Parts: sequence; structure tokens; C-alpha cells
Amino acid sequence: MGRRLIVMAAAGSGVVAAAGAMLLAGLLVSGEQGSRAAGSSARLPALEDPLTGQEVARAGAIASAGSRSHMAAGRTKLLYVERDDDKDSPGHRRADAYLYDYGGDRLIVRTVDLGRGTVVRETVERGVQPPPSKEEETVAAGLLLADPGFGRGLREAYAKAGGGPLRSAAALGLRGLIFTPSGESGTARQCETHRCLRLFVRLPDGTWLDTSRIVVDLSAKKIHTLEW
Amino acid sequence: MFLRLALFCALLAVTLTAPARASAGALAAPRAPAAGLAAPPEASAGALAAPPGAPTGSAAPAASPRAAAASCNAPYRIDKTLPNGARWQLCWEMRNVEGLTLSRVVYTPRGQRALTVLRSTSLAQIHVPYDRGRPRYHDIGSLGQTAVPLRAADCPLGERREQFVCVTTRARGHAHLKAVPDRLNVTAQGRELVVFAAFQVGWYTYLAEWAFADDGSITPRVGATGSLAGFTTTPEYGWPIGVGDTGFEASHTHNVFWRLDFDVAGRADDVVEQYDFTGSGTANRRLARTAFTTETGTVSKPMRWWRVVDRKVRNADRHPVSWEINNSDSDQYRGPADEAFTRADLYVTDYRSCERLATVNPSPRCARSVDRYTNGERLTDPVLWVNVGFHHVPRDEDADPMPSHWQGFRITPRDVTAKNPY
Repeated sequence: MGRRLIVMAAAGSGVVAAAGAMLLAGLLVSGEQGSRAAGSSARLPALEDPLTGQEVARAGAIASAGSRSHMAAGRTKLLYVERDDDKDSPGHRRADAYLYDYGGDRLIVRTVDLGRGTVVRETVERGVQPPPSKEEETVAAGLLLADPGFGRGLREAYAKAGGGPLRSAAALGLRGLIFTPSGESGTARQCETHRCLRLFVRLPDGTWLDTSRIVVDLSAKKIHTLEW
Repeated sequence: MFLRLALFCALLAVTLTAPARASAGALAAPRAPAAGLAAPPEASAGALAAPPGAPTGSAAPAASPRAAAASCNAPYRIDKTLPNGARWQLCWEMRNVEGLTLSRVVYTPRGQRALTVLRSTSLAQIHVPYDRGRPRYHDIGSLGQTAVPLRAADCPLGERREQFVCVTTRARGHAHLKAVPDRLNVTAQGRELVVFAAFQVGWYTYLAEWAFADDGSITPRVGATGSLAGFTTTPEYGWPIGVGDTGFEASHTHNVFWRLDFDVAGRADDVVEQYDFTGSGTANRRLARTAFTTETGTVSKPMRWWRVVDRKVRNADRHPVSWEINNSDSDQYRGPADEAFTRADLYVTDYRSCERLATVNPSPRCARSVDRYTNGERLTDPVLWVNVGFHHVPRDEDADPMPSHWQGFRITPRDVTAKNPY
């Protein structure tokens, strides 16, 4: 595949980003948002070590600096941070921050050079869907609970499974997968560009709800029911 | 709204009734040192080092111990010398998207110099289409977030790294057995290093495992266990697993894709070749070699195999070193036109950092699936994508917890050592 990435020599934005990075770090990135981050070892990580929790937080903050207003408004969210393992840039410890702009349905990936503290590359595209973050799974379950029909059904199933009254989506065992239409008809076709999730919901007794026909649209904040 | 509620209740009913079931060779002399790798100095590029004092191949320079230290630290470094002296070194990482990812895989046969095999490998997708057409899942969501914390019993005789990764060894049966008249049999038992993690994706628990054997072979495989989905269907699309002939559990396929970035003795000079043996129905079988010069998708056939060969690095017999890929154990699922990624069993693409998953690729400004990565570009640094399908027709024995069903393929050294590595 010969298409090259857009490389942004982001000297300017990087400097600005670095200034506020540490302040924002704690606010923007919880430990869960990175990959399984390396333990908090005092020594410097080796090149192929996973990102440390500190590196995840720092990279998230630096990458988020360019989207502050959208993030404050909830339009854009930081999904997670991955170690950049591109062998074409050896010797650099870099991190890829995945941000999603729900308003424009754009995925933004910013690569942060952790040594320099700057964004060294940005790629953006509409309609590209990376896997859901933990937070998105909870938001999707919240939309399901807010729906009168699905919400009632879910609460009843939760109570029946021995969980008592369901107080929040966070109490559910959740796993999310991206849904992209594959020949589906109806409103679910909006998921060709919207960010849509299929949720697996585990109940307190260990059983899973059959949610295979339910799709939560995070861009439109609504629920599509698949028919087959 | 009433319709939706009714549908939801119907779905709940199906699910909540399903768990009711849940209660339920070479002629080398034994131990003779294998001949050294007559590798040029550049062959050590990227190699993790042999330990100080470790035996090295005849003319081969010892790799620098500093290289190993630079790649990864404990607990992300795995360095295991098996009883026959074969050594495997690698790094692991639990990535958010791909889950367990192994990198810098280096093999050192007993008495030989270190040789890099893989720059990195991970799962690249688990595509699960149901026989009735729907649903069709792409199970790699954020795989790293679904890693199951392992308990001691999950990692027998092994070591758990940061809860989620098991590093252990196990027996793999006879390495060889040869009867020698009037003497004791020449026999050896093989062992292998095993690195695995478990992921809970909905009903399923996936076990992602790589086994690195003392004969230099690598076996990547995935086990699916946990629970069946509990989807019921009509008789032509399933199998009755409840009492009588009422509930037909839905049949489905797991199409597992692995991404393997081979860097045999470094990234330069690697070529992928395909081998066929023509002459079906005749007494002769003629070897036919096809070297891939451009990106290619290809299918499995009886007796067909591939290898990644380094054109410049040779063993003591002056044969180029290579790793052979054998993917003969796949159900070869072929999906509809919009699932063109299922149309080949092996894809060979040129390295691109943005090409991470075989489907639903999460990188902007990059193609979405492996069939689209394969667009005729000249191969300079080949990456292999292996697709192995397993068609699961449920059976009564699949009651909770469902027994693991495994699927995988084999990577075998071909001319890495000049003799039996034992």
C-alpha cells in the first residue's frame, strides 16, 4: 500500500502543547485510557517497553492541547494512547493519541515525540473508526438506559439476574465493538460515517444479554435496531 | 416504541433461557553440535545479543549484549533457554487495540549465533460471521482492555507478567526417536516456550498463544472458549444442543488473522517464495517456486507452502536461511463481495506502519483492510498476514464452559541450521 501519511512538522503547536501538558495530564487521561501501561518503575523505559502511565498521560495532554475548545465542549474526546512502534522511525520513543471528533465524525491521530514533547505528525480522516474506549462503552450503555424501552428491559434483566436496582451504566459489565454496516438497511446505514457501537452487556449472574441487533450511535446519540 | 420493546424482550428471553444449559531428519549424530551460521556481520542487525560467554557460531561475530538491554526491560523481556540449549528472546507488550504483541523475536540454536526472526507479531482480526448471514462481528475491538487477569492455575509452571501474560514451558512430545541396532535408541523429548494471554470478548474467551519450540519452530494459535453466544436459528444454520430438537444453536466461523512482520536477520533482503508440487495424478511431483516481487494475496492448496528467506544470510551448508509458513489447517471461509479480505489465506504486503489490522483498520489516511493493502506495490520489506478459519458447528459438549477449540498455523525453520538443531 503506497499511500503516505500526511506528516506535519508541528514545531509551533508542539511547543505550545508542551507548556500545558503536565497540568492537563491528570484531567484528560485516566490510567485506563492507555494500553496496559507499564508499571511505575523509576528507571527510564527501554525503547520497546510499553508506555508508562506517566507517558500515557503526558502524550494525551500534549496531543489534546490542539483540540482544547472542542474537548471542553465534549465534541471531541481522547480515546486512548498507543505506543508508536513504527520501525521507520527507530530510536524515538513516540506515542499515538487517538482523538475522535463526534461533531465532524473525524478520527484524529496525533503522534507525540516523548523526548521532544511535541506533536510530530497528525493524520485526520472522516469515517475511520478505531475500537471504542472504556468511556465510550459506558456512554453507550447510558444511552441504552436512557431509552424508555431498552432502559426498562435492561433494568428488569439486571434485577432478575440478582443485581437489584440498576443505578448506573457503570455497574454493568461492558464490552464494545465498532459496528459498520454490511448490507443492512434502515437507519443503521448512518453508521457508515457515524461512530456506532455494538455492546455486550454482562449481568451480575454472569449471563450476557443478546444485544446483537442493537447498535448505539454515539454521533447521533440514538439507537438503531437491526432487522434480520 | 412498542415494537422495539417487544423485540428487546424477545431478545432477553432468548438469552436468559440459553444459560439453562450452562449447568451442565537429519542423520546427524545425537547431540553433535550443529554447524555454525556463516552469516555476514550485517546479519546481526536488530538481534538481541547472546549472553557473555555463550557459545557462538564458528565464524559469526558475537552480537552486542547492549542491543538486548536497549530493546526492552523486565518484565517485558522474555529470555528462555530450553533444555536442548535453544534460546528464544523477545519483548512483549499489551497494546490497546491488538492486545498481546510480541516483538524483536530472536532465535539462537544451541552453539550458534543469534538470528532475528520477527520484528513484531500480533493478532490482526477475529472475524466472526454466522452461517445465517447475520450477525457478522469483527472481534478486535480494544483487545488490550479485555485482557483477563490470570491466576496461578491459568499459567501452569509458568510466570505471570503484570497479571495478563503467561510465560511458561511445556512438553511437545518426541523431538526424535531413532533405533540403533545393538545400542540404546537415540531419543529426545522436546519442549517449547509458551507465551499467552486471554481476552474476554462478549461470550467468548479467546486465548492468544505463541509457542516457540526447541527445534526453532513457532506455532501461533487461538483458542476460543468461554460460552457460546446462545443465538438460536433454524435447522439448516445450526445444531440442536438443548434437549430434543427445538433449540438450534447458530453455526459460525472464526476467521483469525495474524500480522507477522518478518525481519530475518534484519529487514533487508527478505523475499517471500511460494512452493507448489505439480503433477497430480502422475508419478512425479515437480517443485515449482514462485518468488513474490509485488504485494500478493494467495490461497492455500494441498502441499503448498511459503517461506520468508533472507537472500544474503546462509548457514554452514551455504543455504540461505528461511522460515517456512504452513497454513494447511484452515476452513478457508470465503465471504461476500464486501468481505474481500476473506478471499486469500496469506497476504504479503510491503511494510507500512499504518497497516495494523486485517479489517476495520484504525488508522486515518490508510486503507481499511488487508485486501486493500495488497495493491501491487513492489516488496522491499514483506509483512505476512495469515488467515485461518475455523467453522464451528456447535455440539452438546459445548455446554458452559465451552471446551477450547483451537486454530493456528506453523512456522518452521528451513536451513537455519545446517543439521538437526538438537
